[in-house]
Amino acid sequence: MAGHVSAMVFLVSQKVSLFMFKHLLLCTHGTEGAQKAEAFVFKQLTADPNLKVSVLTILDEDWRMMTGDDWLNSSKTHTAFLDHVEAQVSEEIAEEWQRIRDTYPAAAQAVFLQRTGAIAETITRVAEKLHCDLIAIGPYQKSKGLFIHGEKGLRARIKNDTLHPLLPCPLLIAP
Amino acid sequence: MPRVKDHMPVLIMGGLLIIYGLIVKTGILLPMMKYLHTHKAMDLQMTLTLIVGGIVIVGALINSVKEPGNSILDRFFLQPLGGIVLILVMAMAIRWYLEPLVKIMSDSLQPLLGFNVYKVLNLNYVVLGILAGVLLTNTWGIPKFAEAGVKCARFVLKMGVIMLGARYSFAELAKLGVYSVWLVGFFVLGTVFLVLWLGNIFKQPKSMTGVLSAGMGVCGVSATVAVAPVVKAKSAEMAYTIGTILSFGIICMFVFPTIGHMAGMNPVQFGAWAGTGILNSAQVAAAALAFNAVDIKTLKVAEIFNITRVLFLPIIVLVLATWFGKESGQKLSFKSVVIDKFPIFILGFLLLFGMSSVGMFSPPSHYKGQYIDVSYNDRTQVTSEEWETLKKAMAAGEFSALNPEQLAAVENLIEQRQIAGNYAERNDGKVFDRVGRARMAELEGVLAAAKAKELTLSSDVKSGIKHAIKQVHKKSKTIVTLTDFMIWFFAFGLIGLGMQITKKAITQAGGWPIVMGVIAGITKAALSFFVVLWLVKDVVLN
Repeated sequence: MAGHVSAMVFLVSQKVSLFMFKHLLLCTHGTEGAQKAEAFVFKQLTADPNLKVSVLTILDEDWRMMTGDDWLNSSKTHTAFLDHVEAQVSEEIAEEWQRIRDTYPAAAQAVFLQRTGAIAETITRVAEKLHCDLIAIGPYQKSKGLFIHGEKGLRARIKNDTLHPLLPCPLLIAP
Repeated sequence: MPRVKDHMPVLIMGGLLIIYGLIVKTGILLPMMKYLHTHKAMDLQMTLTLIVGGIVIVGALINSVKEPGNSILDRFFLQPLGGIVLILVMAMAIRWYLEPLVKIMSDSLQPLLGFNVYKVLNLNYVVLGILAGVLLTNTWGIPKFAEAGVKCARFVLKMGVIMLGARYSFAELAKLGVYSVWLVGFFVLGTVFLVLWLGNIFKQPKSMTGVLSAGMGVCGVSATVAVAPVVKAKSAEMAYTIGTILSFGIICMFVFPTIGHMAGMNPVQFGAWAGTGILNSAQVAAAALAFNAVDIKTLKVAEIFNITRVLFLPIIVLVLATWFGKESGQKLSFKSVVIDKFPIFILGFLLLFGMSSVGMFSPPSHYKGQYIDVSYNDRTQVTSEEWETLKKAMAAGEFSALNPEQLAAVENLIEQRQIAGNYAERNDGKVFDRVGRARMAELEGVLAAAKAKELTLSSDVKSGIKHAIKQVHKKSKTIVTLTDFMIWFFAFGLIGLGMQITKKAITQAGGWPIVMGVIAGITKAALSFFVVLWLVKDVVLN
């Protein structure tokens, strides 16, 4: 599905100039797929001096469900855990942003935003609030299963059937 | 009623409960209940649904007109009402309909499959409840009106454990306490050190091995949640660890009871094994009830082990904080590490135990609300059919393998039609009682020998002896009510906890935590199995 959408957007992008967009919302959480979106945006699209880029990283609200079936701890311990998660993930997000700034000089002009919430809903809410006219995300990546080196944060996917009906503007899926 | 629309689902559920209660009252459902073998609970079904339905409708109406507040009534009843009624309806549907249906279907499928699905997978109402909770949350999701109430499950489960406190005697608590401190102490510390050692071998960061060792060693996700901030665990380390523990725990919930039955473990042995070997504390309770949901012997043992593990948690947090803090230069206060992590509900458990021990729920002469009455009483006699069966079995020589004391007890049961002392000694209460109890103990020995296949008795004979013993075992009404409530609290709590196990959390399992977790988890489960079988032999429960 993601492959079809990607190809479709590409066909469109060849006929309609990307210079028509004013404010792009780049959604990244530092995974391999998201890094493709970062490269596409900062290498190919930022040639347009009028294009404003906002980089959005979401702290997945599903962290709240990661306490699972723990029933022994007090609410104070739960709060301490969630505070730690927020601080830790924020620290990791800050590292990701620094990597982006170090890798792409064009990223120096970008605005970096961190929001907490459900992924699809937060992307569309922020895009609406900032009046973005294009949202960019990375392509579908094959699951690594129990891959031993691991990745940062929660393993989560953007679901097309959740995101697409909410879209306030076109969606670009980087190849 | 400005917000009546918001509370419509709750009003509808309340209404349906009342309608169901009224239908049960008419007796229309009796044939179906007989088919499902739930007709004995007909009065309970009627009373419970009418009372709960009434309360729910009143609560939903108050919610419709009243602004949400922060009073105790708001926080503990009005706001969580939707979730509470949803879980209760699920618990009722599972206990009265789904479990009996699964049982009947398993029996019918047995000739085709060659095994009984219900028995092999231990699909009683507790396991089915957790599965239903997991299924609901991962398919349709928890309805919005029920979100606040589902979180109550933790509190309700703690209430169940507190109530369980009333079911222990000093002797039980002392004996089980000694077992649990030794076994849990050995396996908690052993697993913590094993994971730390594995982390060293695989060259993993201290924050990861710290959080994983607590989760694998002490009490699963609860320990992970408590330790993660102390060892400054990274996001992936927490996610992988929690995913690994949840997956492992769910597998254990099904595998442990089946292995326990196959190995012929008694309730004490299984409770000790589940309490030691299963990582996640919620799944210890679930496995204990899956092993035996009819009486609570297994649960009593497992919960003592659970509580002991929880008491080890602050100690482990302190050890890991010291171990981690040394390198990071981080300083933590005794209060933030130990006092804040102390599980306060254990004080409630001890309070109920103390209240019960001083005879607040039943006379001090009773044994945890149970007492043995071997005096002459028509109501304690076995039925005529049972008496005939026993007589015929005696004549046919079915009891020839019994020892002389056991044989004498059976002969006396046939002679007096009930377990009692000697008629000639009836005026000396102490002697009469002692002889009666001794006969009961011998008959219990007969059943135990039959169960261990040391002798062969027909099922009718065993049933007759069982009934004779049951007739002289009396229970305090307060304790029986408290136990019924407790079982419902456990069912409610475990369904609610099931609703908090998401597919997303489980699928986080991976990375080095799954490698080290599987090694440590299997080692702990296997070693504790053999140690429990070797050490835990005597049964102290009554």
